[in-house]
Amino acid sequence: MTAPVTTMTSPNIEPPFEIPPIITYAVPAFVLLIIIEMIVVKLTKRGRYEFRDSAASLAMGLGNRVFGIAFGGLAVAAYFWVYQFRLFDLGWTWPVLVACFFAEDLAYYWFHRVAHERRWFWAAHVVHHSSQHYNLTTALRQTWTGTLGLNFIFWLPLMLIGFPPLMVLMFGAISLVYQFWIHTEVIGRMGPLEWVLNTPSHHRVHHATNAKYLDANYAGVLIIWDRLFGTFVPEDEEKPRYGIISQLGTFNPFRVAVHEWVGIWRDVTHAKSLREVLGYTFGPPGWSPDGSRKTSRSIKQAWAAQQFPPPFAGEVARAQLATEGAGPGAPPSVTLRVTAPPHAGEQR
Amino acid sequence: MNWDEYLANWVAEAPVLAGSAAVVLFMVGVAALLGFRHTAKLDDAELARLAAAEGANVEHAVIDARGRNAFVRLSGGKLMIARVMGNDVSARVSPAAAVQISLRNGKLSVRFADLGYPPLHMRLQAPPTWIAELAGEPK
Repeated sequence: MTAPVTTMTSPNIEPPFEIPPIITYAVPAFVLLIIIEMIVVKLTKRGRYEFRDSAASLAMGLGNRVFGIAFGGLAVAAYFWVYQFRLFDLGWTWPVLVACFFAEDLAYYWFHRVAHERRWFWAAHVVHHSSQHYNLTTALRQTWTGTLGLNFIFWLPLMLIGFPPLMVLMFGAISLVYQFWIHTEVIGRMGPLEWVLNTPSHHRVHHATNAKYLDANYAGVLIIWDRLFGTFVPEDEEKPRYGIISQLGTFNPFRVAVHEWVGIWRDVTHAKSLREVLGYTFGPPGWSPDGSRKTSRSIKQAWAAQQFPPPFAGEVARAQLATEGAGPGAPPSVTLRVTAPPHAGEQR
Repeated sequence: MNWDEYLANWVAEAPVLAGSAAVVLFMVGVAALLGFRHTAKLDDAELARLAAAEGANVEHAVIDARGRNAFVRLSGGKLMIARVMGNDVSARVSPAAAVQISLRNGKLSVRFADLGYPPLHMRLQAPPTWIAELAGEPK
């Protein structure tokens, strides 16, 4: 598709080139890389595979495609609807493309962070974390309920600013493809790239259930957002244990897809007040009125108390917060030396 | 997008989905052929480790003959189910009041209110007293 030169006064929401089906084109590479990784794991014993786990992950990926065809149009329609009310007319120019890349990645960071911190969004995202393995098939273990769970609302501000919807969708697809290769234990550290990019090492931390690694490294492509907003945790000598706090007891894709939604429904129907309804729905995963269930925060606090007995636990946690808040310019070695979990003992 | 376009989209995508399903089967087959079919096994040591992770000890436990499932009473009165998930183990711990237990003709069934953790079914040749008590059977 071609289009005339874009100007600031008459924006062109259509791209000046035909956007290829980025994810579809990437699929053959996904397949090839998965098979290569399987062989490497077999030969080197670095990393783990289990065929039932992989079958579940790949079935979730296929189901994600089915649900994308069925409901993905809702998100696209919402993007174009909001675009009517844009504040600026941003066309398809190079500066806008660069700005959109960063803006999309920032939107992804906040979506991803909220998807871990609020149960409504966690109910869809938990699927991606539900494998006890961490390999390239885990990357394809995707939600079926993301659109119905309104995940797309985190990108609507970009349309309100004036980024063309197709541009945002394009960078969303690029981000998704980028994030495929970081789901591996075969690749170790990547030197200076670790400062800027989301890498396998950073993302292993994100998928880990170890208390010190919980709720960290939400980045899509650029790890700078975690460094900037204080959620960066480096991988250290402690080997990540993958999955979720309450590991699933099933490989059944349908149970994997909806178990947390059913859990919300069950809790809400037993709630005794509006506060409980809201807490069960939009509180942190694991929230309960009496605090009897585990949340990331309670797990990290318990861990910090074991590692750093009072009164030091709070001090170390605050030191961690201070170093994490130093921004992307802070040398990584600063945070490497501090081993307390982020936010332990602190109100979020 | 109107209804006709929506349906046309499904028709257009159908071969892609069928091809994707075939590729999924192929990759799972490759994984199986490469020998990624390890199965963990539950034993007393593993149950003790799982219990310790919950800050508890094992008081009583039954493990099925294949070592795939276990039902455990922990110190503090909580109950734990452990289940082999491929080459991993998954466990659920819950207060006894939050678990449905039935024992009929030696078949133990334990249910949590959690869709992500299907019920445990285990055949016991001689059900221990503690399980019979939990299931509400007369001593």
